[in-house]
Amino acid sequence: MFLEKILSLSKKEQEVTGNMRKHIKLLCSTCDLFKTALEKDDRNLMRNLIDLERESDSIRREIISKIYEGAFLPYLRPDLCRFVEIVDHVFDILGDTANYYLDGKIPEQIKGECFRVAYLNLKICEMFLITFEALLKGDDLREKTLAIRIYEKKIDDIKFSLIKDIRKIPISNFWEGKILSDFISGLTTISDIIEDASDYLQIINVSMK
Amino acid sequence: MKVQELMKTKIASVDADRSVYDAVEKMVDRRIRSLLVRFPGKDLNHGIITARDIVFKVLAKRLNPRDIKVSEIAAKPVVCFDKNADIAEAAALMEKKKIARVFVCEGEKIIGVISLIDIMAGALITRARGNHVS
Repeated sequence: MFLEKILSLSKKEQEVTGNMRKHIKLLCSTCDLFKTALEKDDRNLMRNLIDLERESDSIRREIISKIYEGAFLPYLRPDLCRFVEIVDHVFDILGDTANYYLDGKIPEQIKGECFRVAYLNLKICEMFLITFEALLKGDDLREKTLAIRIYEKKIDDIKFSLIKDIRKIPISNFWEGKILSDFISGLTTISDIIEDASDYLQIINVSMK
Repeated sequence: MKVQELMKTKIASVDADRSVYDAVEKMVDRRIRSLLVRFPGKDLNHGIITARDIVFKVLAKRLNPRDIKVSEIAAKPVVCFDKNADIAEAAALMEKKKIARVFVCEGEKIIGVISLIDIMAGALITRARGNHVS
């Protein structure tokens, strides 16, 4: 319990780490829900994602207020807050992407690749949770962050092929094209931000030593 | 870890009746080392052509790649693996058959391809996961 030991966790600090864990677990559930809704083309299920985004906001507020109530040493607080903000940003992107999905229609030609990105987003998120747990245990994060980068690279490769593919799809009006473009951009940005968050975990880990 | 997690789903291909020159052009342009060779009929009837095949069987022998059809030097049938198979099984099969890539199938349809680098990436991810079941 490296982090917990170093910081000799008080009740407030335990609440913060507990909520951070809850926040990331909620992110995994949200990615899973997004993937299922996309694969089943279930619009009602996709609407539920907006509720999860709200729940994430409430967890974020709770974590940040506890930190500024005095949890953790002052020099650590900005990094911890920044980390929580980055995680919350993933929820925002997931929410936006869900809305673009509800506004438009995914062309058949790119459905398979979109399902694959949603699946890999879930996998990268699960690895992110494992990385966070490793930080709390004081384990080395190098292998974990490398695994996250591998997933991110996979998604990046699919992104470039998706961008090529959508150029061939006939678009009837400006908004249809914009919504599709924004949907793909959102879908493929999620892993980028999770990678940023995992880099931040590494920074927090190093700053503890 | 299942092969479907790391497979590539975009598979570059060439029709069996095209010339080796067409295959070379495509591979150099896209910087890839192999192409799926599409023969008429089911997916499992397809073949594969690699950079190694082209260099050893055509270019090194100073044959004109425009005069040789892809079907003449392609290896077939392709080696296929179920999408739910474990990545370690794929690695064992690649070692046994001395090949650098296996195709991933769903029934009789080819849905992806796994190469040596994907096997290595899979090994790193499995290690990073530790005891966590995904």
